[in-house]
Amino acid sequence: MWQVFNKELVELLRDTKTLFFIIALPMVVFPVLFGLIGFLGSSAALKEHQKMVRYVLVNPEASARFASTMFYHSDFEKVELELGSEDEYINAIKTDKADLVIVLNPNFEQQLQSGETSQWQVFYNGANVLSGIGMKVRDAVDEFVTHIQDEILAEKGFSASELLAFKAPVEVEQIDTADERESFGETLGGFIPYILIPLCLTGAMYPAIDLGAGEKERGTIETLLLTPVSRFAIVIGKFLTITVTAMMTALITIFSMVFWSFIIGSLFDVSQVSSILASVSWFDYVLMVLLLVPVSAIFSAILLAISIYASSFKEAQNYMGPLTILVIFPIIAPMLPGIKLNLTWSLIPISNVALAIKELLKGTIDYSYLLPIFVSTGLFALASIVFCVYWFSRESVLFR
Amino acid sequence: MISVENLTKTFSLTTRSNVHRTQKLDSRQQDGVFNALTGVSFHCQRGEVLGLLGPNGAGKTTTLRILSSALKPDSGQVRINDIDVIKSPMAAKQKIGFLSGKTGLYGRLTARENIEFFARLHGVSDDYLGNEALQIYENLAISEFLDRRVEHLSTGMQQKVSIARAVIHKPDVLVLDEPTTGLDIMATETILEFIQLMKEQGTAVIFSTHHLDEVGMLADRVTVINNGVSAFSDSMEAFRQLSPDRNLRRSFMHVLSQEVTHVASV
Repeated sequence: MWQVFNKELVELLRDTKTLFFIIALPMVVFPVLFGLIGFLGSSAALKEHQKMVRYVLVNPEASARFASTMFYHSDFEKVELELGSEDEYINAIKTDKADLVIVLNPNFEQQLQSGETSQWQVFYNGANVLSGIGMKVRDAVDEFVTHIQDEILAEKGFSASELLAFKAPVEVEQIDTADERESFGETLGGFIPYILIPLCLTGAMYPAIDLGAGEKERGTIETLLLTPVSRFAIVIGKFLTITVTAMMTALITIFSMVFWSFIIGSLFDVSQVSSILASVSWFDYVLMVLLLVPVSAIFSAILLAISIYASSFKEAQNYMGPLTILVIFPIIAPMLPGIKLNLTWSLIPISNVALAIKELLKGTIDYSYLLPIFVSTGLFALASIVFCVYWFSRESVLFR
Repeated sequence: MISVENLTKTFSLTTRSNVHRTQKLDSRQQDGVFNALTGVSFHCQRGEVLGLLGPNGAGKTTTLRILSSALKPDSGQVRINDIDVIKSPMAAKQKIGFLSGKTGLYGRLTARENIEFFARLHGVSDDYLGNEALQIYENLAISEFLDRRVEHLSTGMQQKVSIARAVIHKPDVLVLDEPTTGLDIMATETILEFIQLMKEQGTAVIFSTHHLDEVGMLADRVTVINNGVSAFSDSMEAFRQLSPDRNLRRSFMHVLSQEVTHVASV
């Protein structure tokens, strides 16, 4: 068994595709891709934010002051268009002649004098979330309204402190009992297993195909079967190689994430990230790695069984495609709001590991749940291995 | 010696997809199963070469896979000396060397790593690998490229390494499944010389082929499998006499056209 394991490992580590998947992808390609996406995303958001919003004011005579506020506002640029109906307002935005149409109530001044609330309308395309038009126009209107409120209250003879009390009669101070680590764990903790667990799958996928269907295709599996080594030993040797590769992928990814987080944290002076990661104890990191062992074992056994069944590399790839989608379902659980690790969840393989990693990152894990997690996941892994061994012993599978 | 008695083997048609692609289904298909072998018998003594002939899909590869314990027969017996191959497959595998047209080598390992890997799986000691194996390397002239990766070797070089892999554990029986298929003249010559050498060293050699000239050159015995049955199994001389002009092709066609089988007893 160990001879098969050693041989498979040496062979895999000499394969450039394997090295790409287990080292280059998590260490270089993923960080570069995520960095690039982040850079492009933030650049696009900044560009949109800095862009002047082209507006049309309908009934500007209703409030000369508002017209003037908008005209001199640095975020807005006036566009001269004659628009008379709602359809025309919408059409002007659709045809990109304007970004925003503000329709003032023609009776605004009278309504203001009589103490009535005036209804205004704002038209814009909310689909472009990066533009922030809605927020910008709300800020501009709020600024205008505050100014009017101040004037009215000052006319009625209120002092500056009274004005402040009127505008903010209650001031609520919110004290968050969650520390930085818990907040980080809640927001990003569910996302981490969403990356790690599929990586255990993808890390196992290529070696599984190579060691099963690949060997069939190259004709080496038959030579191996003719040696005086039991099929159990052959399949366990292959299984261990795949599991080690999957674990290596996950470990290198964890290392890469921590490494790049520290680098980015220090480069951009974001001390929060590094301090939060530093607050996670080594024991918790080790637990995270240990939790991934049975998960990798499950994936390795299932993938090897599929690969052995397939008679070619391509056929194995076709069978494995849907598996990547199936894996998403159990790891969505920790991303759902309100889902917490309890006895029931701790018994559901893969979901339990995803939840446990999230809670480990948050620092809120109840360590007593680790036992049912390891037992249930371990049993599922064992069942997968037993099935794989049985599958490998079938002539109809090996010699399809 | 190796003796094969009345081997039968069926495959389920629902799971054995290869059957649909390569084998004739009409005569041997029955109740959802494919009768790959329905009675194969032959024997081969030490120092003899047995040529295994038959049309595509006749059952040659299935027979050879049973001989080498990769497949289990439904009934029948295979014995290598005193070892029952079906009851003691691990002991039998120690006695068998196997070679096919596909080299069965790992491309990303060196030639030496390949040979040593299979040697160790056969329980060959490090001492043997360090001393006596060198003679095999020299005989096959592979010492120069032993430390090069197999994927970088030519087909002929790979086939030589494959031979070394097949005989490194000194097998009593050598099974060759169409070993020259797809090879160039030089590589084919290497294989044929090697078969002759093994014969001279007292190994029982069973090789399946479609090349009758190779059989004529090397074989002492001939077995023709047709539709899963050994239609002929006797000496090369008896096979030649099937044709008035001792032509091997006509002897072969004669066997295929007959309904009665001819199997010489041990």
